[in-house]
Amino acid sequence: MKTATNRVRGVEHDIVQTPQVGDVSPYYEPQGNEVAIFEAAYKRRLPIMLKGPTGCGKTRFLEYMAYQLKRALVTVSCHEDLTSSDLVGRFLLEGSDTVWHDGPLTRAVKAGAICYLDEIVEARTDSTVVIHSLTDHRRKLTIEKKGQEIDAHEDFMLVISYNPGYQTVLKDLKPSTKQRFIAINFDFPSEEVERKILVKEVPGTKPEMAQQLVAIGRKSRLLKDHGLEESTSTRALVYAANMIGAGLDPVVACQVAMVNPITDDVELSDALMEIVNAHFA
Amino acid sequence: MKYTPTVEQTFAGFKELSIAAYKEVEAVLPFIAPHGEADTLYWLEACKALYSFERDAGRAFIRGSLEAEQVSEEVRQWTGQALAFMQWRASWRALEGFMANVARAYGSLGHAGEKRWAEIGFSWCARQIESGAAYFSMPVLELSGRLGGITAIEQIAGPADELYESRKLMLGTYLTGAVRVRNLLGAQAILPWASRGADILQTGRARGEAYFRLESEESLAMLLEHLPGYRLTDRNRLLAMLLDVWFGGEFELKESTWSPEKGRPFIETDGKSIYFPAVMADREEAILALLHTAGHMRYRTFERKALEQMFAEANLEFPKAGAVSWAPLFIKYGDDALRFQLLFDICEDLRIDAGVQRNVPNYLKRMRNAARTLNTRHSGSAAYYDLALESIEAALVQLAGGAADERFAELLVPGATVADAYRAAAKLYNGTTLPPVTDLEAFQAAYLPGRSPNATRLAHPQESDEQSDQQQAGAEQQSEEQEEGGEETEASKNAESGEQQEDGEKQEVPSYGDSSGQSARASGQSDKEGPNTGSSDKGIPYPEWDYRESRYKRNWSWVQEKRLAESNMGETNRLMKQYEMALKRLKKAIQSQKPTRSAPLTQQLDGDDMDLNAVVSYVAEKRAGQSPRPAIYKRREIRQREVAVTLLADMSTSIMQHLPEGGGRLVDRIRAGVLLFAESMEEVGDAYSIAGFCSKYRDNVSYYTLKGFNEKMSDEIRAQIGGMSGRLATRMGAAIRHATASFEGVESRRRLLLLLSDGRPEDYDDGGDRRYLHEDTRMAVKEAVAKGVHPFCVTVDTMANQYLPQIFGPGHYLVLDHINSLPNKLPEIYLRLRR
Repeated sequence: MKTATNRVRGVEHDIVQTPQVGDVSPYYEPQGNEVAIFEAAYKRRLPIMLKGPTGCGKTRFLEYMAYQLKRALVTVSCHEDLTSSDLVGRFLLEGSDTVWHDGPLTRAVKAGAICYLDEIVEARTDSTVVIHSLTDHRRKLTIEKKGQEIDAHEDFMLVISYNPGYQTVLKDLKPSTKQRFIAINFDFPSEEVERKILVKEVPGTKPEMAQQLVAIGRKSRLLKDHGLEESTSTRALVYAANMIGAGLDPVVACQVAMVNPITDDVELSDALMEIVNAHFA
Repeated sequence: MKYTPTVEQTFAGFKELSIAAYKEVEAVLPFIAPHGEADTLYWLEACKALYSFERDAGRAFIRGSLEAEQVSEEVRQWTGQALAFMQWRASWRALEGFMANVARAYGSLGHAGEKRWAEIGFSWCARQIESGAAYFSMPVLELSGRLGGITAIEQIAGPADELYESRKLMLGTYLTGAVRVRNLLGAQAILPWASRGADILQTGRARGEAYFRLESEESLAMLLEHLPGYRLTDRNRLLAMLLDVWFGGEFELKESTWSPEKGRPFIETDGKSIYFPAVMADREEAILALLHTAGHMRYRTFERKALEQMFAEANLEFPKAGAVSWAPLFIKYGDDALRFQLLFDICEDLRIDAGVQRNVPNYLKRMRNAARTLNTRHSGSAAYYDLALESIEAALVQLAGGAADERFAELLVPGATVADAYRAAAKLYNGTTLPPVTDLEAFQAAYLPGRSPNATRLAHPQESDEQSDQQQAGAEQQSEEQEEGGEETEASKNAESGEQQEDGEKQEVPSYGDSSGQSARASGQSDKEGPNTGSSDKGIPYPEWDYRESRYKRNWSWVQEKRLAESNMGETNRLMKQYEMALKRLKKAIQSQKPTRSAPLTQQLDGDDMDLNAVVSYVAEKRAGQSPRPAIYKRREIRQREVAVTLLADMSTSIMQHLPEGGGRLVDRIRAGVLLFAESMEEVGDAYSIAGFCSKYRDNVSYYTLKGFNEKMSDEIRAQIGGMSGRLATRMGAAIRHATASFEGVESRRRLLLLLSDGRPEDYDDGGDRRYLHEDTRMAVKEAVAKGVHPFCVTVDTMANQYLPQIFGPGHYLVLDHINSLPNKLPEIYLRLRR
């Protein structure tokens, strides 16, 4: 019965969801020692910053870690208009009453979840200041509007991500914010790992196909200095593998998943397609 | 032989005219006589008439008659035509040409065609006898070209008539070139080519004639532009990207001097650069050729050790220094040199292709497919082509784990060298039964698509890796030592300079290209002669970083703020017109971005609209017993300026260079870029300033502020942008420090310094030590960041990837592959950066 409704309306989840016994672990392929680092930081409840290009696996890593540590994961995607009340909470009118609603950050702090602020540089600086008291020894969240301070749940942990690409020359975290974090650098996984990811992530992908896609991806990334804003991501490779799995011709699949999305430059896409064609010649 | 009495009588008349003529007629007459008395007499009279008209004309006529009669099997038509030449003076050369070609005209065009051919010639003789002579002297087969027939000749003659009518262009000037143009590009290309030539001819005779002989640059350029096929000239960037992808860059790409006259186009290398022709047959061949040629460099056809070994095996002395000619290797084989060269290239190319295959997947397969699709082989060298193809097939089999072909097996091993190829070729040569190759066309046709003769250019031996490293290190050390020596004397004196010391320093500086060195010296003198005006005129001092001592040299570089003296409103207007559409597009793009950018300010204490979200939370908080700030309004107002930007343009001499792709100089694009940037900034509304800089020695860095932050854009500023030009060198660090300082007093929180450059930091007094100014610039960038200014460098130097990452940091620079895109890109880059 429930599945029928789910099919009709999608599934509603609360944002704070502790992994349950029987949940399937998200798939993640470690690239280096990041798991160990994360676990160590978690042991001491130190906040973490994930740095790396788009689509290299930051979010997936976090999902995986949250599952391993059996913690709920609360994700907030930051954007230009994100205010501190969007994070902390606000009063709302309900009938004739005013009711305080905790924001996602407050809920995570109370529930002892891992709070993940994705692309934190996009948020306005005033909202990033909110996290200062949470990220040092105080581990406190101040709710100005209620005149409260919340001591964080002992399992609470804060994680932020950011992508130091060149579009954000002007948008950088303040040094005072940055230095509160343990920082893990992410890059695209090694060839071998990336192949493994493709095969696991897209069931039915043949090892040879995975190898070709990975080879194409690696060659494409070499063109970064020729005007690509973002290079071909692991996610794009996964998409291409998916399109191929769905029956599309490999060359076309690569074009729509790995070339067209990242550039409008005719010559660049020509060069990228040359790489694709060479592999599938 | 017996002739009719009348004929005999006329014939005998020749004895009186000239014994020589008599003898010549005597030889031909037996073949003419069978056509009957009337025709024979007609012919004899013609001989006489032409002989008396002009000796040479008569002789040419008599001699040509034999063949003409044989082919045409008649006498009257061509005799009549020959007589027609008598109406023009000095026409013997034309007649000579006519008689030489008339037989072939009959042969290839038929009687009617011959008549038309002669008519066309006559019309030109009437206009100008030299043109007529040129026309008749040209072999008919050449005139009619591959297509053949009288129509092909009319295709040549048609435009000539037209050009004569309109421009008084003579056929003689045009004919040879036109035939070649027709052969290369087809008939439709003649008229545009020739009209352009007529224009050029009017500006100067010599220049015009060179154009028509297809010897001048402009004529060649015109031809190349219309040549069918895949145009490599326009795809420079693609080629560079592909090399970067497959071989990791560091190749020098140059356009070769190939022209269609030289036969098949090839991509070639001499071990230093890769030379590509303007056009190749198709894309696949071009790409294969590019990869193959890069393979020669990567898999070390030119490695000194291997070359030495090869020369040793051939019992030849290897030149100790300089470029190496391949010729001695082949000359050994005497007349058979071409045959051996082909076999050698098959072996060496296979070795290279096997190497390339390791870099580029499916390369050999593509090579094979391309080779197979070519159906028409040149008969003279088909065997070599097929052998090459066979070798690739063998390689494919062997690499797939199949049986090896012993002839080629060794070449496919990763460690094989050019010497191995030489050995394999010698073996192949000894056992070969392939036919010899003599002509160039066959030789060129023997190469598979993508391959090329390896010996066409002198080889520049490459040092093997360790060797070259050592040498380089040695050289560096040496130069460092030298510099340190220089530094010591300088450092022993005080860093805060006196005039005298500076002069000493200047003399030590090696000149930097002749003219600039001279001018620098000259102005150095004038400096000395001028009155000593004290430090205020010297400008503002900045420190400079010396990496050798890891310290700052205090007050080392002096920056003078200046106003640009030149202004050029005409140029500005021209640029505004040229980029009108681009500017419109840009402004539109900016406007469409605006709503998000100058979004209404929310949560204001006063304003012209309610901020509903704020109202709700205000009411809610109030009800909850709080006393919230009544910030419940929103305002539509351009947000207080958040970003301030300085566009700092490199104004060194190098921007005056002409663009390799033609269409003006780099400075034109820079002016346009700055102008579009300024106009876009007016639309965006951010605070901005524009400046340029150049330098000559550390005490003479000029900083031209074209527009300050607080100045309003005006026509005067626009005119100054139009007047920007290049001079002197590039002391980037000092300029960055000064630009950073000029941000003082600007309120904006985000500050961007957009540097527009075309090369690395350099100055006359850096003593050739590039690292010095690099390091200083790097430090200047660091200082700027510490002061809250974000430098970002936009460059058109395609080699910039080698040094910009170190100076500006990864992600803080952009290399524009297309100089032409600079004007449009510059505002776009800014808009993207400020997001």
